[in-house]
Amino acid sequence: MEGSDTYLIRPNHQHKFKPAIVKECIREIVRERLSGMQYDPEEVPELSRSLADCIKDKVKNSGFERYKLVVQVVIGEQRGQGVKMSSRCLWDSDTDSYAEDVFMNDSLFCVVAVFGSYYY
Amino acid sequence: MEEFNSGEEVVFNTDEASVSVKECIEGVIGGTDYNQSKVNQWTASIVEHSLTHLVKQGRPFKYIVNCTIMQKSGAGLHTANSCYWDTATDGSCTVRWENRTMYCVVSVFAVTL
Repeated sequence: MEGSDTYLIRPNHQHKFKPAIVKECIREIVRERLSGMQYDPEEVPELSRSLADCIKDKVKNSGFERYKLVVQVVIGEQRGQGVKMSSRCLWDSDTDSYAEDVFMNDSLFCVVAVFGSYYY
Repeated sequence: MEEFNSGEEVVFNTDEASVSVKECIEGVIGGTDYNQSKVNQWTASIVEHSLTHLVKQGRPFKYIVNCTIMQKSGAGLHTANSCYWDTATDGSCTVRWENRTMYCVVSVFAVTL
């Protein structure tokens, strides 16, 4: 990680991980890529991988330097089944945070979670 | 005076973590059938127990543990993740478990401080 200010152990307000902004990023990309898509077991593995990479690049370029990112994308078929997803994190709640979004249409559902961890 | 970090490279041990997580899953939902009203507390308790076991290892990591439980109905499910981190020291592991009525997928991500 280049540049000055490597002694900072807390991000200043502009550089803090803002869940609202990241949620917007996720929403745009997911809606653009998945609206009108049908669940196709051949395509979905590639689709979920490329969605994860796309979202990671977009969030990286939104100005959260000093943050390590983990992006998780889950895509499943809609057949009336029950699904539950939950997360727990052991981190510094002053500096770290997450954002998530859920997208559903008739044939599939997609959950995206982005976790940001500050690199001291 | 004992030093907390001896200055060696600490790397995330995926095998140890996946064994630990598998035990947690077995302990919580091993032998049960999918039950809509209990799913909430199952996911919460799998995630909490896994996190507690990971923390007991005493390594200098921040952890993110994610658990998904899905009823078996013939539907498909795919998970993908993309991470921006230090590939030398950080890592993740995913554990898949199933029984007659449900699938359970747990992902653990560990980033160094």
